[in-house]
Amino acid sequence: MRLMHTRLPDFIDKMQAAGKKRRQETMVEVRGLENLKSAKLASLRVGRLEDEIVELTEDPNVEKVEVIVVPRNPETLNTVIVKAVRKDGSCKKAILECMLITSPSEDCELFDVEEIDDRRFPIS
Amino acid sequence: MSELKYKVIPKGSAEGVIPLNLTFIDKKDIDEAGMTAREACELVAKHYGQETTINVMDLDAVTVTSDGIMAPGAVVAFASADHGKINTDFGFISVSEMPYSYELLEAEPHLKQWDIDYRGKRLYRGPKPSDKRPRASYNENMTITGRIANNNTGSEMMNLVEMTEILTPHFGMLALMQDDEVLVGLCGPEISVGIGMVVREHDGRIFDWAFDAGMTAHRSGVYAKTVKLGIPIIVGTKKALAHFTIRALEAGMVPGLHIGCSPVVLSIAKAMGYPIAMDRIMENAWIELESVGITREILEAPSEKLSREEVISRADEMLHGVDNGKIYKTSEIANICFAQF
Repeated sequence: MRLMHTRLPDFIDKMQAAGKKRRQETMVEVRGLENLKSAKLASLRVGRLEDEIVELTEDPNVEKVEVIVVPRNPETLNTVIVKAVRKDGSCKKAILECMLITSPSEDCELFDVEEIDDRRFPIS
Repeated sequence: MSELKYKVIPKGSAEGVIPLNLTFIDKKDIDEAGMTAREACELVAKHYGQETTINVMDLDAVTVTSDGIMAPGAVVAFASADHGKINTDFGFISVSEMPYSYELLEAEPHLKQWDIDYRGKRLYRGPKPSDKRPRASYNENMTITGRIANNNTGSEMMNLVEMTEILTPHFGMLALMQDDEVLVGLCGPEISVGIGMVVREHDGRIFDWAFDAGMTAHRSGVYAKTVKLGIPIIVGTKKALAHFTIRALEAGMVPGLHIGCSPVVLSIAKAMGYPIAMDRIMENAWIELESVGITREILEAPSEKLSREEVISRADEMLHGVDNGKIYKTSEIANICFAQF
């Protein structure tokens, strides 16, 4: 079980640790998961990311690694929970709605990148 | 070296009303260039370089407007481009032809216009599920690359970073492609309501098999008139809109039964004395229509019948829906470009 899925705090720690494997001073910034308080991430994918951070930091000129998580499909279907909360913190009622959110695709993070090595599995 | 022609309505044109770059390619030029629509969009994206929507239009084909009016010209592919790129998975959609069949005309009575006015023409509406892969079933008919989203089969475009948008209803795009005059302004309450008065279609440009004539897709009561209010819009001239709407009415289309109950359709049907299926207009659709001053009492009240010519000549005063509108020649707002290959 431990190998199958990684806890969210462990994922953040693993990204930081991977960045420091070659040089202690390497900064690692993880973005895109700020809304999540808890989650499990596929461990095999986490391992791939750790290896890729080490791979990128083999270059001595790399001072910082950014790990940016964006939706694979930029038009996401979300559930919106509208909760009515009492003074004592208890919830009287919740209404569920759907919300399609269209956000910029990964391209916005890549326009100034010199070399893109796309290792994602195809979804087409 | 060969060239592919394309037309750009640049951001800031029409005295600053156009909020993002809009690109159009004629399918005929793509065919002459011997490439696919995707290859053409990628070539244009790279040549133009800036963020833009791209619509490929086939002027020999036909389509259906949201309120069920059949019209010449069709978007047969659409794309979003940014920094010269088109996103591999989500940046492009090709629209499959809708084959003619008696079963289809039986299920979708507004397509009787196909037999009467456009017999033999190829029909394109929205993409089929297979055209949309890898999008999910809940995804809209939308392409996305970087900052640019091109939605509803090329009729609703956005910049997702600047969070601006523009509407390009079919007759506006048709006029741009044909170098005719267009009306550019801000969407008014009548068009905002009208866009929701759709017809039931398989693989429609905006909706699938959901809302029948007489229903409202907005289902938002008095707020329907504000859904699109104030958004920049490019439409055809009101005379052109009247011409095609009258053509549908002359083909026997009854608002509420065969075609949608948009304010334009109802206004023209009333003015010319064509029947309106009043009892089929749903209560929530009446609320939206009444919010822009169209009531059953007004539609049922006796009035002088106007001829086709009278309606077309008075279209500007009869048909509402574009605020601060100004007529432009296409040449005044568009640039013609050539991509070498």
